[in-house]
Amino acid sequence: MINNGIGKLFEGVDRWTVLLYVLIVLVGFVSITSASYDDGIASTFSFSHFYMKQLVWIGGAFAAAIIVLLIDASVYHKWAYLLYILGLLLLLSTLVVGREVNGAKAWFEFGSFRVQPVEFAKIATALALARVMSTSTFSINRSGDLFKVGLVICLPLLIIILQNDTGSGIVLASLLFVLYREGLNKWLCIPILLIAVLFIFSFLFTPMTLLVMLILVCTLSEAMMNRVWRSRIIYLASLALGTLVLYLAMFLITPGAMDLYRCLLIITLVSLVGVAVYAFRSNLRNIFIMIGLFLLAMLFVPTTDYIFNSVLKEHQQNRILSFLGLVSDPLGTDYNVNQAKIAIGSGGWFGKGFMQGTQIKYGFVPEKHTDFIFCTVGEEWGFVGTMFVLSLFCLLILRLMRMGERQEEPFGRIYCYCVAAFLLFHLLVNVGMTIGLMPVMGIPLPFVSYGGSSLIAFTIMLFIAVRLDASTRQYYFR
Amino acid sequence: MSDRADGFVRMRTLQIVVLAVFVVIAARLVYIQLIDDRYEKLAKGNTLRYEVLYPSRGEVYDRNGEYLVQSRECYDLMVVYREMDRGGFDTTLFCQVTGISREALVRELANARVRPRAPRMVMNYMSKEDKLRFDECNFSGFYTVYRTARQYPRKIGGNLLGYVGEVDADMIKRDPSYQAGEYIGISGVESAYEDVLRGKKGVKISEVDTHGAIKGSYMEGRFDSLPVPGKSIVCTIDARLQLFAEELMKGKVGAAVAIEPSTGEILMMVSSPTYDPDELVGRERGNHYMEMLYNKRRPLYNRAIRSPFPPGSTFKLVQGLIGMQEGVLVPSMRYPCHEGYQVGRLRVRCHSHASPLDLRFAVATSCNAYFCYVFRDILENPKYESVKDGFDVWREYVLSFGFGRKLDSDFLGEGNGYVPDRGFYDNSYRKSWNALTVLSLAIGQGELGCTPLQMANLAAIIANRGYYYIPHIVRSVEGQDSLDRRFYERHYTKVDSKYFEPIVQGMWQGVHEPGGTSQLAKLPGLDVCGKTGTAQNPRGQDHSTFLSFAPKDNPKIAISVYVENGGFGAATALPIASLIEELYLTDTITRPWLVEMVKQKQIYYPAYDK
Repeated sequence: MINNGIGKLFEGVDRWTVLLYVLIVLVGFVSITSASYDDGIASTFSFSHFYMKQLVWIGGAFAAAIIVLLIDASVYHKWAYLLYILGLLLLLSTLVVGREVNGAKAWFEFGSFRVQPVEFAKIATALALARVMSTSTFSINRSGDLFKVGLVICLPLLIIILQNDTGSGIVLASLLFVLYREGLNKWLCIPILLIAVLFIFSFLFTPMTLLVMLILVCTLSEAMMNRVWRSRIIYLASLALGTLVLYLAMFLITPGAMDLYRCLLIITLVSLVGVAVYAFRSNLRNIFIMIGLFLLAMLFVPTTDYIFNSVLKEHQQNRILSFLGLVSDPLGTDYNVNQAKIAIGSGGWFGKGFMQGTQIKYGFVPEKHTDFIFCTVGEEWGFVGTMFVLSLFCLLILRLMRMGERQEEPFGRIYCYCVAAFLLFHLLVNVGMTIGLMPVMGIPLPFVSYGGSSLIAFTIMLFIAVRLDASTRQYYFR
Repeated sequence: MSDRADGFVRMRTLQIVVLAVFVVIAARLVYIQLIDDRYEKLAKGNTLRYEVLYPSRGEVYDRNGEYLVQSRECYDLMVVYREMDRGGFDTTLFCQVTGISREALVRELANARVRPRAPRMVMNYMSKEDKLRFDECNFSGFYTVYRTARQYPRKIGGNLLGYVGEVDADMIKRDPSYQAGEYIGISGVESAYEDVLRGKKGVKISEVDTHGAIKGSYMEGRFDSLPVPGKSIVCTIDARLQLFAEELMKGKVGAAVAIEPSTGEILMMVSSPTYDPDELVGRERGNHYMEMLYNKRRPLYNRAIRSPFPPGSTFKLVQGLIGMQEGVLVPSMRYPCHEGYQVGRLRVRCHSHASPLDLRFAVATSCNAYFCYVFRDILENPKYESVKDGFDVWREYVLSFGFGRKLDSDFLGEGNGYVPDRGFYDNSYRKSWNALTVLSLAIGQGELGCTPLQMANLAAIIANRGYYYIPHIVRSVEGQDSLDRRFYERHYTKVDSKYFEPIVQGMWQGVHEPGGTSQLAKLPGLDVCGKTGTAQNPRGQDHSTFLSFAPKDNPKIAISVYVENGGFGAATALPIASLIEELYLTDTITRPWLVEMVKQKQIYYPAYDK
């Protein structure tokens, strides 16, 4: 009977995924043990050690995984919106009763332990997105449906930004990955991606350069999208000409009143009316999307200065600036990243061995058991270790995509891709920051970094995907 | 292209994206882990030594540019246990050179042993001479760190200037930019202007080999920074006045505050007993501190801004002003006084003087009965539905004079004082009370509590005829054009300025005309205005207080002196205030006998000296 029950529980469950998951969690535990082992605490098994606490979290995560598997797959579809609304409310309530940690008001505190609801909100967003996009009438390149998708993604994003937890917010941008898979026109994907990159790096450019780049990106991708070239080139040329004429005219009337940037901005905004009329007449609706995108970007790019100076906290500013090489902050971020690089770099081929990492041990690496946990892997297990961990993640992501592809229902597919997207983004940003590829954003390495909410939330997220996949396969097995 | 085929292409594309991310990260890892051996070298020699370069703390000047607080060079002696030469360490020589006792050394080294790689302080406040001698001997593992210690050349203003001490764990938790061993202002100006005075730490990172020898700076000093010294501050205090006032207050418990009415600048602020701020610097600091902490007279308690005293008769000025504004009193109004004010069995006593008398004379001679009439009229004004409503109105007026609340000044720890509200009396008398119940408020007794600062502020309000600037202690901060805006705004009371003239007249008469209580305060040609106060004290001798400003027109100084158990207002507080005014306004002392008398006067405090 018991055998039967367990057998049933695991029926159709993807063994590879579970194996990869367990391996990654183990790697995390070993790394945390090494990073947080403190000679000062007498007993090896004392719960003042982070690794002993992590052991409890791992137990909790396994329990959560089993509970997720016990619930019928259809429940996730049915409850998607409810969970989404719950997630939003949870996020909102942090704004009121949340506790501020590192400048972000994104935590609940119960006694001595803290929960970060954003980790759970990600699951809810993924479910809701899957539900929206899997309705039978849904078509991603229709502006109405696209608007719905935007809403589902932007609502939590907005709250997270209000919490001042921009790092976690940007994670939601990775859902573009899913939108692409679901057929979003690639000439819409590329400008969105480019604009996102421009946004991150906007501090490097003058507003003029930014504006020119924006116009080029939007116009050219629209041209690619509709495969009409000549008129678009003419449009760009006339923009340039119009700007020059306006600039000269203004220069003759009152010299110095208008710079080139303002002229171009005015000409472009005026021309948008013409573009809109053109789009309406020629029935090219996707031009409206492009106009919307452009205006949205225009709203953001000139306000980045404002956002940068007033919204971002000093440590966040420093992180971005130091990543871009604009300031070198002694004993600040740059230093942290440098120490992280030294730790990883000193690992060599095979590393220094378990608990032998001097950089980690003597406190040169900051946040060594949470955000910078990858340093421990790098220093103690060397290139072999980092490649191993990286491969585990890579396989897991590819496996998730594979699981998505074999789903009967679009709901399952979309959800699996969401999980893959989140994991990929976390991996890229977290590992990227320890090796100086990405700015320091303070998001954890899934399953590896110390912390209960992150581990349990990612476990639930992953196992919902496993559950959805299992139910499809159960269907075949019967 | 069909949907399915398109989906397949897109899946492949995304798989390539995933692999691309993998390859990019892997390539970067190949570079830093396998190709670039810079990191390995750095890690190997990476016992970095972080030398914190402490900034010198900002200096404090008085209003005439004299030093109130200076920074003096001193050194902390540090040790890194692991780098110590334990075999050849000559304890005797070490103790001789540095002056540390053998027991202390052994204790500190035992502590340092717990974290052998971390630098630990062995001894602080090492003098420059000791440091130079120490440097000659070259003990391995030990080094010195440049610090600054506070020095108070005039030895005045203990509570005012405050002191500096090491940060404790709580403070570090609140503001992580502080590290253990750093100094922070703990009270007074040192604490209120901590951000300005503190400066910014610098750091010097050196690479150290396994033997502890410095091999050079880390990454060509890329991460090093120089300390930014703290900014200096100019206080509004007049050091000479402060010193003089402290001498006069010696042997008495109380406070004296003087304000420049036209700016709100505090010229002098004494809380007595005071202490020599130099005693809270250096190695003996802990002992001195404990001594003061257990001193029954509480020298660490800043009475001038914290202690709520009953204002006594000085409060009659406020009653008169409110009465006139409320329209229940005109200055020419006369009330009889036959050594007191009597209603039924209730009697408020008064001294003997001419009767009936008008407002000016009532202020001058400090008639209790007169202000009982006024106070009752304010509360029982038929304009208001009940006495309690009248009381609320009265209380609003009193608050507008800065009583019963913090004045929002620039130093910390200001007390509220206390002005009872309706709820308080409702509680005490089960809601059945009337003007007679609270009659003692009329003459500044009863539940009323005012800090000496608030009383000095009252003197400034009257000197200004109706408004005050928030009293403040700092005149300017180096590198800042101006202070906070609130110090430049006039704060008006709810009493119109035209009503102040009769009160000022009364205060002038009190000094200059027969029958006045403050005649000793007369300074020829300076038109001093004053008001004495004798606050009844159920636990001993009455408190003596005096409130004054001068000259009458275009006042330069407003002052309040409060001496606990000092007896009559004219007996103790008045001479002190008068001498201070004289020194400030004329730069001379023409009455050395009075100075002598004040200094001779030592008051016995049964409450403190048990």
